[in-house]
Amino acid sequence: MAVPILRQGDILIVTLQGDLGDAEWAKLTDDLLDRIAERPTRHAVLDLSVVDVLDSFACRTIVGLTRMVSLRGPTMIVAGIRPSVAFAMVQLGALLPGVATALDLDHAMALMAHG
Amino acid sequence: MSTSQSIAAAGGFAAIPEKNLRLFWKAYEERYDEVSARAAEELLALPEFAAFANLISEEESAARQKASRLRLAHAIDTGSWEEYAEELISQGEMYGEMSISFVSWYKAISVVRVVILPHLVEAYGSSGDDLISAVLGMDAFFDVAMATIGTSYLLRKEATIMVQQDAIRELSTPVLPLREGMLILPVVGVVDSHRAHQLTQGLLEAIRSSRATVAVVDITGVPSVDSKVANHFIQTVEAAKLMGTVVILTGLSPAIAKALVTLGVDLTKLNTVGDLRGGVEEAERLLGYRVNQIGA
Repeated sequence: MAVPILRQGDILIVTLQGDLGDAEWAKLTDDLLDRIAERPTRHAVLDLSVVDVLDSFACRTIVGLTRMVSLRGPTMIVAGIRPSVAFAMVQLGALLPGVATALDLDHAMALMAHG
Repeated sequence: MSTSQSIAAAGGFAAIPEKNLRLFWKAYEERYDEVSARAAEELLALPEFAAFANLISEEESAARQKASRLRLAHAIDTGSWEEYAEELISQGEMYGEMSISFVSWYKAISVVRVVILPHLVEAYGSSGDDLISAVLGMDAFFDVAMATIGTSYLLRKEATIMVQQDAIRELSTPVLPLREGMLILPVVGVVDSHRAHQLTQGLLEAIRSSRATVAVVDITGVPSVDSKVANHFIQTVEAAKLMGTVVILTGLSPAIAKALVTLGVDLTKLNTVGDLRGGVEEAERLLGYRVNQIGA
């Protein structure tokens, strides 16, 4: 299942459609980094609102992905993490330092509009 | 009033072979008052029983004993046990309410068995068969009686526990929306790990449902915190941050602050403000509210 990456001006939006397997996470990381290169990009949003479960591999991938995106320039916002997923991430040590987080896509948009 | 409980107990009594029961009862009834007096003596030797025996007058307890004897005699005569079963059930409920421990009332009632046994031997010692039947009757009778009292004792205790648990649950976790985007979670009382878990879940769910970006957790009413619970609080703050919400912790008492530092809990990740008022002001600032006093 390919994950759609939408561009809105200088913003890239990745909305997951369901739980991803290990290979899909790796592919998503590559695709997102490629899309950042194609045009000037200020923000990248990863919307996890439909994700019920994250295993340790997915957590590590998300931490890596956010760091790589930040290194390429855009600020990274992770949106829509569910309560159970948030608690699991904390217990797995995936704290996303230096990454902005938002309640949902709407909140992420508001954060970008303010800076 | 026949409940399912008393019907079940009555069935238990009715299942005892009639011959055994009658032999036992014949010897028991002859010595009923003597046996009751000896049993009462043994009961009073237990401190827990003595305490509540004083609350009942002698006439009253004698009247009760007589009524109980009549009920039992009637049950054995007619084979209908509901009334006697109900008496045992209310006895069990009474023990449960008086918080007499299971072990002591069980021991106290078993005393009756020990007291009766020599009388059975005296009455039927000449005939081995009759003696065995009477002893079997006694054992079966007390087994059912104990089970009946025990069941109602436990049901009574369980009912008390259920009521208390409900009260605790209700008191535990109010999450209050104070303004658009702001939640307040006042925590009062001792927090153990079960409750800490409940608090976390309540807060995170409320953050999601009310779309709050700032949550103020006030622990003024928490007398003490151990390292496990402190770490749980920190994890909650981190989880809320992943969801996009800032948590402000207010009302850390001097004792808790001291304990946390002594325990070596890493507090650098916590956003703390002295009191609830300061916490709410900080939350308003983060949300971009400005509160003006009219005419000031």
